[in-house]
Amino acid sequence: MEAAAIRTESLTKRYGNVAALDHLDLEVAQGEVVGYLGPNGAGKTTTIRLLLGLIHPTEGRGEIFGLDCQHRSVEAHRRLAFVAGEASLWPSLTGAETLHLLGRVQGRVDAAYRDELIVRFDLDPSKKIRAYSKGNRQKVILIAALMTRPDLLLLDEPTSGLDPLMEQAFRHSIKEARERGQTVFLSSHIMSEVEALCDRVGILRDGKLVEMGTLAEMRHLSALTVEVTFDGSVPDLSGVPGVSSVQAEGHFVRCHVRGSVQPLLKVLATAGVTELLSREPSLEELFLALYGGDGNSEARRNVAG
Amino acid sequence: MVARLTARKAVRSGVLWGYIFGIFVASSALSYTTIYKTRVEREHLAAAFGSNKASSALFGPAPQLQTVAGFTVFKTSLTLMILGAVWALLTSTRLLRGEEDAGRWELLLSGQTTRRGAATQALAGLGAGVLTLWAITALVTVVTGLSSKVDIAPGPAIYFALALVSSAIMFMAVGVLTSQLAATRRQAASYAAVFLGVSYAIRLTADAGIGLHWLIWASPLGWVEQLQPLTAPQPLALLPIIVFSAGVALVGVHLAGVRDLGASTVPDRARGHPHLRLLFGPLGLAIRLIRTTVIGWWVAIAVTALLTGLVAKAAGGTISGSSVQQIFSRLGASGAGTDAFLGVSFLILAVLIAFVAAGQMTAARAEESEGRLDHILVRPISRSSWLGGRLLVATAVLAASGAVAGAFTWVGTATQHSDVSLTTLLGAGLNIVPPADCVLGIGALTIGV
Repeated sequence: MEAAAIRTESLTKRYGNVAALDHLDLEVAQGEVVGYLGPNGAGKTTTIRLLLGLIHPTEGRGEIFGLDCQHRSVEAHRRLAFVAGEASLWPSLTGAETLHLLGRVQGRVDAAYRDELIVRFDLDPSKKIRAYSKGNRQKVILIAALMTRPDLLLLDEPTSGLDPLMEQAFRHSIKEARERGQTVFLSSHIMSEVEALCDRVGILRDGKLVEMGTLAEMRHLSALTVEVTFDGSVPDLSGVPGVSSVQAEGHFVRCHVRGSVQPLLKVLATAGVTELLSREPSLEELFLALYGGDGNSEARRNVAG
Repeated sequence: MVARLTARKAVRSGVLWGYIFGIFVASSALSYTTIYKTRVEREHLAAAFGSNKASSALFGPAPQLQTVAGFTVFKTSLTLMILGAVWALLTSTRLLRGEEDAGRWELLLSGQTTRRGAATQALAGLGAGVLTLWAITALVTVVTGLSSKVDIAPGPAIYFALALVSSAIMFMAVGVLTSQLAATRRQAASYAAVFLGVSYAIRLTADAGIGLHWLIWASPLGWVEQLQPLTAPQPLALLPIIVFSAGVALVGVHLAGVRDLGASTVPDRARGHPHLRLLFGPLGLAIRLIRTTVIGWWVAIAVTALLTGLVAKAAGGTISGSSVQQIFSRLGASGAGTDAFLGVSFLILAVLIAFVAAGQMTAARAEESEGRLDHILVRPISRSSWLGGRLLVATAVLAASGAVAGAFTWVGTATQHSDVSLTTLLGAGLNIVPPADCVLGIGALTIGV
């Protein structure tokens, strides 16, 4: 059987009494594109640094393509590329020199693809790193990672500082990587990016993985938002099975429905409905609901259900 | 706000260096009173060094070596003049350009101040630092002068301390100016260091006794020398020092007001043709990153070694058979005259090479703490192989530093027809490398921990 691109067993990192990462069990198959979400300090970067073998786990272990992250990190690094959100590079080197160096250290470079990426990301490689803006420095490390065509891309908020055009170029490159069968592990704050690119999404909270699944699965678990406008009086929906968070305003009602919509439809059929709108929650709504960002504890319970 | 922030750092550093200055003055004065006890010994020293052209060119004129005051001025002036200038230029470029490079000035300038206002305030903070340096140096000097053996009155002691820190005052201002001219802190410090080197070279030429003594007025370090503390005070020489410092600082503040934040007055080379030869891996990268600094150190070691070699014969002559030689032999330098002097001088070179080692390890540590090392370690390179490579480069640099020390000392001695062979001096140079290797080892250990 083909080894998983990433596999962790009870991977834990504690700093004193604080658990930065708490018994993480994660498996990412080869060729998958997985999003990794969580607010600041949830443990996303800690996970990636543990996978890279840059820090030691307090407990548990991790593997990259079946190679132990701690003891065989150099072999594992041959097959992966990492992009950090903060690009601290050597200020006296030019972009071209930095790409050359990082390519030599990695040991392989698709030179034609590198040149294509330089054009795609609109980078001027003759400039010194100290003369680059934050976004341009970020482009350098993105190109350095992509140009080696690694089996696994570990991306830790890779698009911080990029403008919307470059964000598009990034998405295009990740889709290309997926088509080539490369595995991508994308930690990000940008929900639309994760929604557009990822097959599966993991959500981290206080060092614990609280959700893991495809977007469809996560939506299935969560509530549907239904908005109804009536031509006359508004029926009482609060007692309908599966319906919650009912907000009525004049002839307009907004509510959440979990499970089957059949009971709600039965009630609505007897009332005069002029407009009916239902939509699945966006990833952002799922995420906010999970973290209580909208203050709706019921929605949170629904998602976490 | 800016003044307080800058002053806090500058004053803290000023206190430390004030004590170093003071202790150097005190130890020079007190050691003279114990080493040269009799009048005969003092006259002998004055006769040997007082009119020695090489010594005068290198260390400045040496009048009144038969007095404690005269000797102390001779012994401490050049060293502290250079040390003070280096301290000042490093401090001012660090607190101005360094803070700007790190992006902290941007935060300050978004507050209620202008670029010119912030630079003026920073200047005031740096001034507080120099004032502290003077106050503490003066305090220790005055206290030392109270000793009946040393016997220097408080007034002249305070003037002497002012002379010792006056190069620091001028180079503080120079640092403020170069911080506006250059694009990076390193560049700003290099510009100021080059100016220091030129000033020293002009002063050296003026004192070499080849009829160009008027050149002394063309060098800031020459003005310091003209203050002639304790021997023949010339307070008038303070005038060019004050005018120069104020003028340079004003130009600096003006430029700070007219240039853009983060920009440089001298055009910066923001692009360049790629030089890929050394960028084959971490080892080559290390060489590429350290080469400028290391060449700078080699020049400093070579100059020190050359100066040592040039005066070795004359200096050795004065100590032959004297009590100094006994002291030198206790420090581990055996043999007579020139050999004994060279033996002790190599201890000073050993300290320089240890500094090179410490610098290497600090640079390696900075790679890690500033996050640049991550880009290497997430690729197929282990931390131990990276550190191993870095140590290999550093070890080679230190060995070469030792060889430079030996070779240039030999060049100096050869011009004076001293009978010391190149192989002996190369051996002596390499002999002082192990202590620096030890510093390297300790540094590697702390990185490992």
